[in-house]
Amino acid sequence: MMRIKFVPYEKLKGNHAAVLEELKEGMIIVVDAKLSPKEEAELIQETMLAINQRFAGIELGSIDFADVGGGRKLRSSLLEKLSGKKRGITLIGPAKLIRRIEQKPEELMLYF
Amino acid sequence: MMLRHIRMVKNSFSSLVLSIFRKRKNLKIGLYGPVNSGKTTLANRICMDWLGEELGTASVVPHETREIQIKEKVTMKLDGKSLAFNLVDTPGIATRIDFEDFIKHGLADEEAKQRAKEATRGVIESIKWLNDMDMVLVVMDSTRNPMSQVNITILGNLDARKIPFIIVSNKIDLKKSDTTKIRNSFPGYDVLGVSAKNGDMMKELYKMMLNRL
Repeated sequence: MMRIKFVPYEKLKGNHAAVLEELKEGMIIVVDAKLSPKEEAELIQETMLAINQRFAGIELGSIDFADVGGGRKLRSSLLEKLSGKKRGITLIGPAKLIRRIEQKPEELMLYF
Repeated sequence: MMLRHIRMVKNSFSSLVLSIFRKRKNLKIGLYGPVNSGKTTLANRICMDWLGEELGTASVVPHETREIQIKEKVTMKLDGKSLAFNLVDTPGIATRIDFEDFIKHGLADEEAKQRAKEATRGVIESIKWLNDMDMVLVVMDSTRNPMSQVNITILGNLDARKIPFIIVSNKIDLKKSDTTKIRNSFPGYDVLGVSAKNGDMMKELYKMMLNRL
Protein backbone atom coordinates (compact mmCIF):
# COMPACT_ATOMS: atom_id res chain seq x y z
CA MET A 1 0.00 0.00 0.00
CA MET A 2 1.42 3.38 -0.98
CA ARG A 3 1.26 6.10 1.66
CA ILE A 4 1.71 9.81 1.01
CA LYS A 5 2.11 12.36 3.76
CA PHE A 6 1.76 16.12 3.35
CA VAL A 7 4.12 17.87 5.72
CA PRO A 8 4.34 21.61 6.43
CA TYR A 9 7.81 23.02 5.78
CA GLU A 10 7.96 24.23 9.39
CA LYS A 11 7.81 20.62 10.62
CA LEU A 12 10.60 19.47 8.28
CA LYS A 13 12.90 22.42 8.95
CA GLY A 14 15.81 21.28 11.13
CA ASN A 15 14.10 17.93 11.73
CA HIS A 16 15.21 15.70 8.89
CA ALA A 17 15.70 12.77 11.25
CA ALA A 18 11.95 12.40 11.89
CA VAL A 19 11.20 12.62 8.18
CA LEU A 20 13.89 10.06 7.36
CA GLU A 21 12.32 7.63 9.81
CA GLU A 22 9.03 7.91 7.92
CA LEU A 23 10.82 7.49 4.60
CA LYS A 24 12.42 4.31 5.95
CA GLU A 25 8.89 3.04 6.65
CA GLY A 26 8.01 3.54 2.98
CA MET A 27 6.22 6.88 3.25
CA ILE A 28 6.27 9.42 0.43
CA ILE A 29 6.60 12.94 1.83
CA VAL A 30 5.23 16.08 0.16
CA VAL A 31 6.45 19.37 1.61
CA ASP A 32 4.72 22.71 0.93
CA ALA A 33 7.92 24.55 0.09
CA LYS A 34 11.03 24.40 -2.06
CA LEU A 35 13.96 23.47 0.13
CA SER A 36 16.96 25.76 -0.07
CA PRO A 37 20.12 24.35 -1.69
CA LYS A 38 21.70 24.19 1.76
CA GLU A 39 18.72 22.24 3.14
CA GLU A 40 18.84 19.88 0.16
CA ALA A 41 22.54 19.26 0.74
CA GLU A 42 21.96 18.63 4.45
CA LEU A 43 19.12 16.22 3.68
CA ILE A 44 21.38 14.31 1.28
CA GLN A 45 24.12 14.07 3.90
CA GLU A 46 21.72 12.84 6.55
CA THR A 47 20.24 10.37 4.09
CA MET A 48 23.70 8.97 3.46
CA LEU A 49 24.11 8.37 7.19
CA ALA A 50 20.75 6.57 7.30
CA ILE A 51 21.43 4.22 4.38
CA ASN A 52 21.64 0.53 5.26
CA GLN A 53 20.73 -2.79 3.68
CA ARG A 54 17.01 -2.08 4.01
CA PHE A 55 17.05 1.64 3.18
CA ALA A 56 18.80 2.64 -0.05
CA GLY A 57 18.23 6.39 0.18
CA ILE A 58 15.75 8.74 -1.39
CA GLU A 59 14.51 10.23 -4.58
CA LEU A 60 13.96 13.95 -4.35
CA GLY A 61 12.23 16.41 -6.63
CA SER A 62 10.99 19.96 -6.33
CA ILE A 63 9.20 22.77 -8.09
CA ASP A 64 10.12 26.37 -7.39
CA PHE A 65 7.01 28.52 -7.87
CA ALA A 66 9.30 31.36 -8.95
CA ASP A 67 9.91 29.37 -12.13
CA VAL A 68 6.19 28.98 -12.80
CA GLY A 69 4.58 31.84 -14.73
CA GLY A 70 6.38 35.15 -15.22
CA GLY A 71 4.17 37.48 -13.18
CA ARG A 72 4.51 35.52 -9.94
CA LYS A 73 8.26 35.95 -9.65
CA LEU A 74 8.25 39.31 -7.90
CA ARG A 75 5.37 38.35 -5.61
CA SER A 76 7.12 35.07 -4.70
CA SER A 77 10.37 36.85 -3.91
CA LEU A 78 8.70 39.34 -1.54
CA LEU A 79 6.75 36.65 0.31
CA GLU A 80 9.85 34.49 0.66
CA LYS A 81 11.86 37.34 2.14
CA LEU A 82 9.11 38.03 4.65
CA SER A 83 8.43 34.41 5.68
CA GLY A 84 11.83 32.76 5.11
CA LYS A 85 10.01 29.98 3.29
CA LYS A 86 10.52 29.46 -0.44
CA ARG A 87 7.24 28.91 -2.26
CA GLY A 88 7.11 25.60 -4.02
CA ILE A 89 6.71 21.87 -3.55
CA THR A 90 9.25 19.25 -2.56
CA LEU A 91 8.62 15.57 -2.99
CA ILE A 92 10.74 13.00 -1.15
CA GLY A 93 10.31 9.26 -1.47
CA PRO A 94 12.18 6.08 -0.57
CA ALA A 95 14.52 4.96 -3.37
CA LYS A 96 13.27 1.37 -3.06
CA LEU A 97 9.75 2.59 -3.91
CA ILE A 98 10.35 5.40 -6.43
CA ARG A 99 12.53 4.43 -9.37
CA ARG A 100 13.12 8.04 -10.40
CA ILE A 101 11.60 11.52 -10.39
CA GLU A 102 11.64 13.40 -13.68
CA GLN A 103 11.89 17.13 -13.13
CA LYS A 104 10.83 19.98 -15.33
CA PRO A 105 10.51 23.60 -14.16
CA GLU A 106 6.70 23.32 -13.89
CA GLU A 107 6.07 19.65 -13.19
CA LEU A 108 7.32 16.52 -11.48
CA MET A 109 6.75 13.00 -12.76
CA LEU A 110 7.18 9.99 -10.47
CA TYR A 111 8.17 6.62 -11.86
CA PHE A 112 7.54 3.56 -9.68
CA MET B 1 16.70 35.65 -22.64
CA MET B 2 16.79 38.62 -20.26
CA LEU B 3 17.30 36.28 -17.31
CA ARG B 4 20.24 34.72 -19.12
CA HIS B 5 21.86 38.13 -19.66
CA ILE B 6 21.26 39.17 -16.08
CA ARG B 7 22.85 35.93 -14.86
CA MET B 8 25.85 36.39 -17.19
CA VAL B 9 26.46 39.95 -15.97
CA LYS B 10 26.02 38.85 -12.36
CA ASN B 11 28.43 35.90 -12.78
CA SER B 12 31.05 38.08 -14.50
CA PHE B 13 30.80 40.71 -11.77
CA SER B 14 31.00 38.11 -8.99
CA SER B 15 34.04 36.48 -10.63
CA LEU B 16 35.76 39.85 -10.98
CA VAL B 17 35.17 40.86 -7.36
CA LEU B 18 36.07 37.43 -6.00
CA SER B 19 39.22 37.22 -8.13
CA ILE B 20 40.46 40.42 -6.53
CA PHE B 21 39.85 39.33 -2.96
CA ARG B 22 40.31 35.57 -3.12
CA LYS B 23 43.72 34.18 -2.14
CA ARG B 24 45.70 33.46 -5.27
CA LYS B 25 47.87 30.77 -3.67
CA ASN B 26 46.75 27.20 -3.12
CA LEU B 27 43.65 27.61 -5.22
CA LYS B 28 41.41 24.59 -5.11
CA ILE B 29 39.53 23.63 -8.24
CA GLY B 30 37.01 20.89 -7.62
CA LEU B 31 35.29 18.43 -9.90
CA TYR B 32 31.72 17.87 -8.83
CA GLY B 33 28.79 16.08 -10.32
CA PRO B 34 26.58 13.01 -10.25
CA VAL B 35 27.93 9.47 -10.25
CA ASN B 36 29.58 8.23 -13.47
CA SER B 37 29.60 11.64 -15.17
CA GLY B 38 33.32 11.36 -15.90
CA LYS B 39 34.85 13.47 -13.15
CA THR B 40 37.84 11.21 -12.58
CA THR B 41 38.37 10.77 -16.31
CA LEU B 42 38.41 14.56 -16.65
CA ALA B 43 40.72 14.90 -13.64
CA ASN B 44 43.09 12.39 -15.22
CA ARG B 45 42.96 14.27 -18.54
CA ILE B 46 43.81 17.59 -16.83
CA CYS B 47 46.63 15.99 -14.81
CA MET B 48 48.06 14.21 -17.84
CA ASP B 49 47.99 17.44 -19.86
CA TRP B 50 49.73 19.54 -17.22
CA LEU B 51 51.64 17.10 -15.01
CA GLY B 52 52.16 14.04 -17.16
CA GLU B 53 50.53 11.71 -14.63
CA GLU B 54 47.02 10.59 -13.71
CA LEU B 55 45.16 11.32 -10.49
CA GLY B 56 42.86 8.33 -9.95
CA THR B 57 41.10 5.27 -11.31
CA ALA B 58 37.98 5.59 -13.41
CA SER B 59 35.48 2.78 -13.88
CA VAL B 60 32.01 2.07 -15.20
CA VAL B 61 31.10 0.62 -11.82
CA PRO B 62 29.34 3.42 -9.92
CA HIS B 63 31.10 5.09 -7.01
CA GLU B 64 34.60 4.09 -8.08
CA THR B 65 35.83 7.31 -6.45
CA ARG B 66 34.79 7.10 -2.83
CA GLU B 67 37.28 9.48 -1.26
CA ILE B 68 38.43 13.00 -2.01
CA GLN B 69 41.53 12.80 -4.21
CA ILE B 70 43.85 15.76 -4.60
CA LYS B 71 46.62 16.50 -7.07
CA GLU B 72 48.68 19.40 -5.83
CA LYS B 73 50.60 22.05 -7.74
CA VAL B 74 48.99 21.73 -11.13
CA THR B 75 50.16 24.65 -13.26
CA MET B 76 48.22 25.57 -16.34
CA LYS B 77 49.83 27.90 -18.90
CA LEU B 78 48.04 29.01 -22.04
CA ASP B 79 48.10 32.10 -24.26
CA GLY B 80 50.29 34.07 -21.88
CA LYS B 81 48.11 33.29 -18.86
CA SER B 82 49.04 31.04 -15.97
CA LEU B 83 47.11 29.36 -13.16
CA ALA B 84 48.49 27.27 -10.29
CA PHE B 85 46.03 25.16 -8.32
CA ASN B 86 45.28 21.96 -6.48
CA LEU B 87 42.88 19.76 -8.39
CA VAL B 88 40.28 18.06 -6.20
CA ASP B 89 38.40 15.04 -7.55
CA THR B 90 35.32 14.26 -5.49
CA PRO B 91 33.03 11.25 -5.12
CA GLY B 92 29.87 11.52 -7.21
CA ILE B 93 26.93 12.97 -5.35
CA ALA B 94 23.84 10.82 -5.11
CA THR B 95 20.65 10.65 -3.09
CA ARG B 96 20.50 6.86 -3.25
CA ILE B 97 23.10 4.11 -2.88
CA ASP B 98 21.95 0.53 -3.14
CA PHE B 99 24.51 -2.21 -2.58
CA GLU B 100 22.46 -4.46 -4.89
CA ASP B 101 23.46 -2.20 -7.81
CA PHE B 102 27.09 -3.14 -7.22
CA ILE B 103 26.19 -6.83 -7.22
CA LYS B 104 24.64 -6.29 -10.66
CA HIS B 105 28.04 -4.99 -11.78
CA GLY B 106 29.65 -8.22 -10.70
CA LEU B 107 30.83 -7.45 -7.18
CA ALA B 108 30.54 -10.08 -4.47
CA ASP B 109 27.98 -9.56 -1.71
CA GLU B 110 30.36 -8.40 1.04
CA GLU B 111 32.39 -6.28 -1.36
CA ALA B 112 29.19 -4.59 -2.58
CA LYS B 113 28.09 -3.78 0.97
CA GLN B 114 31.50 -2.36 1.82
CA ARG B 115 31.53 -0.27 -1.35
CA ALA B 116 28.07 1.09 -0.52
CA LYS B 117 29.25 2.07 2.95
CA GLU B 118 32.30 3.84 1.55
CA ALA B 119 30.21 5.53 -1.13
CA THR B 120 27.86 7.07 1.46
CA ARG B 121 30.86 8.48 3.33
CA GLY B 122 32.20 9.80 0.04
CA VAL B 123 29.02 11.74 -0.70
CA ILE B 124 29.09 13.33 2.76
CA GLU B 125 32.71 14.37 2.26
CA SER B 126 32.02 15.76 -1.19
CA ILE B 127 29.37 18.09 0.17
CA LYS B 128 31.57 19.13 3.11
CA TRP B 129 34.47 20.04 0.81
CA LEU B 130 32.31 22.32 -1.34
CA ASN B 131 32.96 25.22 1.03
CA ASP B 132 36.70 25.04 0.36
CA MET B 133 36.56 25.33 -3.41
CA ASP B 134 37.75 28.40 -5.29
CA MET B 135 36.21 27.19 -8.52
CA VAL B 136 34.25 24.13 -9.55
CA LEU B 137 33.89 22.19 -12.76
CA VAL B 138 30.41 20.69 -12.60
CA VAL B 139 30.71 17.58 -14.72
CA MET B 140 27.50 16.32 -16.31
CA ASP B 141 26.99 13.33 -18.56
CA SER B 142 25.71 14.89 -21.79
CA THR B 143 23.88 11.69 -22.72
CA ARG B 144 21.63 11.86 -19.67
CA ASN B 145 18.79 14.13 -18.60
CA PRO B 146 20.50 17.07 -16.88
CA MET B 147 17.44 18.07 -14.85
CA SER B 148 18.24 15.86 -11.90
CA GLN B 149 17.95 16.89 -8.27
CA VAL B 150 21.65 16.20 -7.77
CA ASN B 151 22.62 18.69 -10.51
CA ILE B 152 20.12 21.25 -9.23
CA THR B 153 21.40 20.90 -5.66
CA ILE B 154 25.05 21.24 -6.72
CA LEU B 155 24.41 24.34 -8.83
CA GLY B 156 22.17 25.86 -6.18
CA ASN B 157 24.83 25.45 -3.50
CA LEU B 158 27.55 26.90 -5.74
CA ASP B 159 25.32 29.87 -6.56
CA ALA B 160 24.46 30.43 -2.90
CA ARG B 161 28.14 30.30 -1.86
CA LYS B 162 29.19 32.50 -4.81
CA ILE B 163 31.71 29.92 -6.01
CA PRO B 164 32.49 30.38 -9.72
CA PHE B 165 31.82 27.33 -11.82
CA ILE B 166 31.74 25.98 -15.33
CA ILE B 167 29.29 23.29 -16.37
CA VAL B 168 31.23 20.67 -18.29
CA SER B 169 29.01 18.69 -20.62
CA ASN B 170 31.10 15.53 -20.82
CA LYS B 171 31.02 12.55 -23.16
CA ILE B 172 30.41 14.52 -26.39
CA ASP B 173 32.09 11.61 -28.18
CA LEU B 174 28.97 9.53 -27.63
CA LYS B 175 26.10 9.42 -30.12
CA LYS B 176 23.40 10.35 -27.61
CA SER B 177 25.31 13.41 -26.42
CA ASP B 178 23.22 16.59 -26.26
CA THR B 179 24.99 19.65 -24.85
CA THR B 180 22.16 21.91 -26.02
CA LYS B 181 19.82 20.18 -23.58
CA ILE B 182 22.17 21.08 -20.73
CA ARG B 183 22.43 24.71 -21.91
CA ASN B 184 18.64 24.96 -22.14
CA SER B 185 18.18 23.38 -18.70
CA PHE B 186 20.59 25.81 -17.04
CA PRO B 187 20.40 29.09 -18.95
CA GLY B 188 22.77 31.88 -18.03
CA TYR B 189 25.63 29.60 -17.00
CA ASP B 190 28.84 28.77 -18.86
CA VAL B 191 28.44 25.34 -20.46
CA LEU B 192 31.11 23.65 -22.53
CA GLY B 193 30.93 20.28 -24.26
CA VAL B 194 34.06 18.13 -23.92
CA SER B 195 35.18 14.57 -24.21
CA ALA B 196 37.45 13.87 -21.25
CA LYS B 197 38.04 10.39 -22.65
CA ASN B 198 39.27 11.57 -26.07
CA GLY B 199 40.53 15.03 -25.11
CA ASP B 200 38.11 16.94 -27.37
CA MET B 201 37.61 20.65 -26.54
CA MET B 202 40.00 20.51 -23.60
CA LYS B 203 41.92 23.59 -24.78
CA GLU B 204 38.67 25.55 -24.80
CA LEU B 205 37.97 24.35 -21.25
CA TYR B 206 41.41 25.47 -20.08
CA LYS B 207 40.84 28.90 -21.62
CA MET B 208 37.54 29.21 -19.80
CA MET B 209 39.15 28.19 -16.52
CA LEU B 210 41.94 30.74 -16.96
CA ASN B 211 39.41 33.46 -17.71
CA ARG B 212 37.18 32.62 -14.76
CA LEU B 213 39.90 32.92 -12.12
